Amino acid sequence: MLRKKVCLVGYGSTEYSRKSDRPLLSYYAEAMQNAMAQTGITKKEINGFSMVTQASPDYSPYVAEQLGLELDWVLNGDCGGAGAVCAIRRAADAIEAGYLDLAFIVAGNAFDKNVAHQRVLEYQRANYVDVYGYGGPNTLFALVQRRHMEEYGTTLEQIGKIAVSQRHNAGPNPQALLRAPMTIEDYLNSRLISDPIRLFDCVMPCSGGECVVVASEERAKQITDKPVYLVTDAEKIGFQASNMLPDKTVTGMSVVGQHLFSEMSRDNIDVLAIYDDYPIAVMMQLEDLGYCAKGQGGPFVDDHDLTFAGDFPVNTGGGEISVGQAGLAGGMLHVVEALRQLRGEAGERQVKAAETALVTGIGWLSYARNLNTTAALILERRS
Amino acid sequence: MAGKSLPVINPVDREYWAGAAKGELRLQRCRACGVLQFFPRAACTGCLSSDLEWVPVSGRGKVHTFSLCRVPRNRAFMDEVPICVAEVELEEGVRMVTRIVGDNRDQVTLGAPVSVVFMDTEDADIKLPVFELA
Ligand SMILES: [Zn+2]
Repeated sequence: MLRKKVCLVGYGSTEYSRKSDRPLLSYYAEAMQNAMAQTGITKKEINGFSMVTQASPDYSPYVAEQLGLELDWVLNGDCGGAGAVCAIRRAADAIEAGYLDLAFIVAGNAFDKNVAHQRVLEYQRANYVDVYGYGGPNTLFALVQRRHMEEYGTTLEQIGKIAVSQRHNAGPNPQALLRAPMTIEDYLNSRLISDPIRLFDCVMPCSGGECVVVASEERAKQITDKPVYLVTDAEKIGFQASNMLPDKTVTGMSVVGQHLFSEMSRDNIDVLAIYDDYPIAVMMQLEDLGYCAKGQGGPFVDDHDLTFAGDFPVNTGGGEISVGQAGLAGGMLHVVEALRQLRGEAGERQVKAAETALVTGIGWLSYARNLNTTAALILERRS
Repeated sequence: MAGKSLPVINPVDREYWAGAAKGELRLQRCRACGVLQFFPRAACTGCLSSDLEWVPVSGRGKVHTFSLCRVPRNRAFMDEVPICVAEVELEEGVRMVTRIVGDNRDQVTLGAPVSVVFMDTEDADIKLPVFELA
């Protein structure tokens, strides 16, 4: 379905840190302040608010109270790594329905010991997976990557090229925590964590925050001369959930892609912001979105230049594996990078003539399956 | 220091763990539509019926995928690394996340036949279904 009158009008980021003891809500507040400064929106004007969170005692109305927000619309975004994209979709629905004209959507992470943000394992993972001594998402993605490598002949060099290209993209990004050049040898020689997953496949947890501002077209025109339109969007939750013999290498993005690209050709996308908790996740999404056939992600990566100056720019700011993953701001980071590119604010890493972007979000691995949540947006700059 | 992770047994999966403690692998089957499922749930993933029964299964299967985990989430498991976490496809057509044990666990390959054994835990009343190369 095409969206008609919903825009993304601004964003705000904070610096990322591995050591900060700042509380989470200070990251939310700073990201929102930066978005307010960029858009000229005053705090009183904010009538919609969503925070993207996983397992926390901070229900969104409590956080709204903490931040002194009086609202017509509030949402606790709960789709894991797809939460940012899903929250933007929900905000767009509410704006189209006329409930509000402006929503601030925030996400972040902090190592704040005073608030119980300790992630609780969902029940099935606690009773039937954790008891075996598994390594968290590293092992769950290893189980997927092993299947992909054995079924399709995908090589570590092909998967590693994604990590190496993204590190190159992070070079000019001051927000990225990992900017030093990395070679394919560095990738291959990095320590095994849960084979075939190695250290340079993994995101680095950090603290930080991101905010995106969604507005009606009418408000957007008052706020910015660079409105970025939400063109179309889709999600799939629980792909293969009732199949006891699921295809381990296919994700719900295969369904999402069909929706998106019935509205616009995938070849018209200028910038790809593909949720990258692991390089193998990027490869599977490219396949499922139809950029190549299932299993051909390896040869596809071989044939393309994934850097910001290349023919197929993916994760032009370095992605989560180079910037750092500030909890569920990891999903928001991709939206913000797409906005920087479409607004021509990406500096040295600017993709030339970037008018359209694809942003994906994915969230946790279902028991013995693949991704539970998958969602994506197509954004377009219209002047 | 916290110990190795153990299940928090509850009304939904009590029969599963009771079977394991007696050396029997049990799965849920829906009396309404016949679906066999794992992990244990309050309702059938095929038809949402709550009329579920427990049936013993062969405990034989083959390896669908695996990983030798060197950094367990719960560091209490560090004395056992590398831990061969695997998904096993049972003959009955259901996959389980489990663990392959035995000194030959570094020889595990995709498709390798395996059979269930029951591993002691730090709780004398709880045994874990794990698998060995057949
Ligand atoms: Zn049923």
